[in-house]
Amino acid sequence: MPSTSTKALQIIYGDATLGLRGTDFNYIFSYERGGLESLVQHGKEWLYRVPKPTFWRATTDNDRGNHFSEQAAQWLATDVFLKCIKVAIKVDDLPIELPISPVNNQYTDHEFADHVTIRFTYETTTVPATTVNVDYQVDGTGAIKVQAHYYGMTSLPELPAFGLRFIMPTPATGFDYQGLSGETYPDRMAGGIPGKYHVDGLPVTKYLVPQECGMHMATDWVTVTRNQTLNNADPSHDDFQLTFSALPKQQLAFSCLPYTAEELENATHIEELPPLRRTVLTLYGAVRGVGGIDSWGADVEEQYHIPSHRDITFGFEIKGV
Amino acid sequence: MKHFEKWTNTLIEASRRLNEMTPEIGWLDDPQVFRVNQLPAHSDHRFYQTDAELTAQASQLVQSLDGQWQFKFAQTPAERPVGFADPDYDRSQFDTITVPGHIELENYGQIHYINTVYPWEGKIYRRPAHALDSKDQGTGMFSNGADNTVGAYVTTFKLNPELQGKRVVIQFDGVEQAMYLWLNGQFVGYAEDSFSQSEFDLTPYLTDGENLLAVEVFKRSTAAFIEDQDFFRFSGIFRSVRLLAKPDVHVEDMTLRPNVLGDLKTGDFNLALTLSKTEADVDAVVKVTVADHEDNAVLTLTKPAAEHLHFDNVSVENVHLWDHVDPYLYHLRIELAQVDGTTIELVPYDFGFRRFELKDKVMLLNGHRLVINGVNRHEWNAKTGRCISHADMVADLKTFKENNINAVRTCHYPDQIDWYYLCDQAGIYMMAENNLESHGSWQKMGAVEPSYNVPGSLPEWREVVLDRARSNYETFKNHTAILFWSLGNESYAGDNIAAMNAFYKEHDDTRLTHYEGVCRNRAYEDQISDVESMMYAAPADVAAYLENNPKKPFIECEYMHDMGNSLGGMKSYNDLIDKYPMYQGGFIWDFIDQAISVKDEVTGQLVLRYGGDFDDRHSDYEFSGDGLMFADRTPKPALQEVKYYYAKHIN
Repeated sequence: MPSTSTKALQIIYGDATLGLRGTDFNYIFSYERGGLESLVQHGKEWLYRVPKPTFWRATTDNDRGNHFSEQAAQWLATDVFLKCIKVAIKVDDLPIELPISPVNNQYTDHEFADHVTIRFTYETTTVPATTVNVDYQVDGTGAIKVQAHYYGMTSLPELPAFGLRFIMPTPATGFDYQGLSGETYPDRMAGGIPGKYHVDGLPVTKYLVPQECGMHMATDWVTVTRNQTLNNADPSHDDFQLTFSALPKQQLAFSCLPYTAEELENATHIEELPPLRRTVLTLYGAVRGVGGIDSWGADVEEQYHIPSHRDITFGFEIKGV
Repeated sequence: MKHFEKWTNTLIEASRRLNEMTPEIGWLDDPQVFRVNQLPAHSDHRFYQTDAELTAQASQLVQSLDGQWQFKFAQTPAERPVGFADPDYDRSQFDTITVPGHIELENYGQIHYINTVYPWEGKIYRRPAHALDSKDQGTGMFSNGADNTVGAYVTTFKLNPELQGKRVVIQFDGVEQAMYLWLNGQFVGYAEDSFSQSEFDLTPYLTDGENLLAVEVFKRSTAAFIEDQDFFRFSGIFRSVRLLAKPDVHVEDMTLRPNVLGDLKTGDFNLALTLSKTEADVDAVVKVTVADHEDNAVLTLTKPAAEHLHFDNVSVENVHLWDHVDPYLYHLRIELAQVDGTTIELVPYDFGFRRFELKDKVMLLNGHRLVINGVNRHEWNAKTGRCISHADMVADLKTFKENNINAVRTCHYPDQIDWYYLCDQAGIYMMAENNLESHGSWQKMGAVEPSYNVPGSLPEWREVVLDRARSNYETFKNHTAILFWSLGNESYAGDNIAAMNAFYKEHDDTRLTHYEGVCRNRAYEDQISDVESMMYAAPADVAAYLENNPKKPFIECEYMHDMGNSLGGMKSYNDLIDKYPMYQGGFIWDFIDQAISVKDEVTGQLVLRYGGDFDDRHSDYEFSGDGLMFADRTPKPALQEVKYYYAKHIN
């Protein structure tokens, strides 16, 4: 992934993290937490916990009816308990030894590069296990190109979903996107009208029993707007934004909700969901259809399944400052 | 005018009979007693005394009894206030209740949602009377039922001046599930069939002063076996109640047949009237006019009044046809007048000319292949349950129009009468379904097991279902919007449902019959249903039927089960429409979630609750949340997909 950046990117070879800095941004990748721990632009933190690959969706009524969730239950455990098994770093496309102490003693307080790539490898808790790589490439503009790769494995159940989940510290005031109107799924997107849309707040579609919801297929970009942080020294309520864009000639699927799949899964009524505290933005590389023939056994049509034996790759860019 | 004098005054006859009648609680147990002293079902036309009334659609002859009634709830029949209808009964301990409404939603009885199995599952062992043993009378099954709650309703009224001195009837639009009626302490009659109008003559018992009306409503009767719809199980007077006074000469019934000849241009107008009159010697003439949209008369017919009148095969050239896209209605006006011209009664009825036929196994409307872009619609409001308002209906039709929905199945019972008029006006093709579902009697945990199926072929269960077919037909027979009579839902198939089919065939050759359950019992496939109807058949299964020398055109009376986040894969059904002329669309299940708005016990906020949330067991929990609309009438995201595909075959 060659960069076209002309700005130099400062690298902080920390003892537990790799820091990447530039004008108005500072990103911290944690070796211990296994991912991007901090994404600060213009002094505003965008991450509550490190983004992780996600595999689960909150059971829909049709999933319950056709026992899909029971068959796919391994993916729920992986969604919650995924572990990072490896971190690898390239500076200007050259691999370096993982710069933890004392390896990082060789560096100084003024290390710069054109771009840096850091790869986190995760191992699923499924039996058998498989792996997922997530690569972040950062350049001097602060742009982050993200690539996620799922390694297919036979004898695993079909996937409910495959994506990368970003949990943000405070609730968004809303989001804007260019894509299809309404809530869409691979087998329910013909009626979606292409356009630019604004959504106020973080609506959870009020299905009687909370379930998978809020998916937006065929999206070019999504911009999340927040107006508060958890930083006690930051009383501002001015809007600030972060944009996630599809790579050239590609499109994204995403949902932007206040809850994880597990939080949704756990509620029997919408009023049981926790108070609105955070933003859960998930970018998807694969989305299973919702089905609709009946709710007591009929499967989703074949072409809308996500087979587990095939690799899945997807990417997107988080815009620089 | 000799024939005029020979008129049988059915009302007076009826009142003579009822004087001899004493109510028996055992009627609740007997499937052969389901209407006592009820007036016969008739067409749902409105009537007025003057043009001013007609224009305002407000008749002085109508007196609503809706409002606050006195009420006493009893958990069981044994605990009910026997004799409460007597004028000198001490009702000081009575509460009040809103009529119309459900007893359960006023928090007297427990709210309960259950789908197929009977609501007494796990609590009471019941088998329908006569089902397993013809001698089994079911004695005490409901009249002594521990789950049979009772509502004792009382109201008082004085007749409005316009009603005084006239023949007066009372109409109950919906009472669930069995009711006994008294006026001024005298027993008037008994009714079942929760979703059909029950009408009684009050004339013999009325006083000029205050009248005391008492209704005893039982939650269960033998009707429970054939009202096993997938919905919340309610009881009470849940639709409006009104008094109606009849003018001296009155249109009791009318049958309108605005046919269209094969040239699709010539209207063939037919009208049959049944009139009644008071004992006073009134001569009258009947003037029938039909006007178009611009109020130009296209026909005017006059005859002297008689008990039975026919206007047959009157030609109307170049009729403007009615369909979904252009629901053009003509204005029928029937005027009963004295010979000096003084108006006695005015009956308006808007109707459309349309031709619906089965040709080469394809259903044609006005010569074009019909494609049903339909929904099943329960009457529902999250706050008031199945007691819905006119505004709810208007809102639903707006949603229909905005989303290219052209057809509705009144699942699984007759709706409020207004809805049929509104569908005529909006051009919504109707499948008018009877109040019949006996799901729990033949399907157990998904398996077909009809050992105690009712109505089946049991003679004791025949008349009750025929009566439901008759009520549905007689009430709604003049509605242009109705293309199908549906015999009921999920009740298996036997001689009795075949008899319902035969009833419709004897009475109406302008519509088709529909019944899905016959696909569960193929022995009846030549006697029941003009269409092959299935529910939730997968696209490949539909194709398999259509590829194998099909007998009948195919529709899905229920498909795209829109439970929760669903409605994926609609394209496959849309493709069938393009591929097979005999695939003629279907009705999505369903239009609106059935959930109840209550205050959250923790936060005090209004929230939507479903089965099991009221400690109600056995329950099917959220299974009634299958709508294109959420229960609060906001659209589900899937609706845009329906709008898209239904736009492809709008007709």
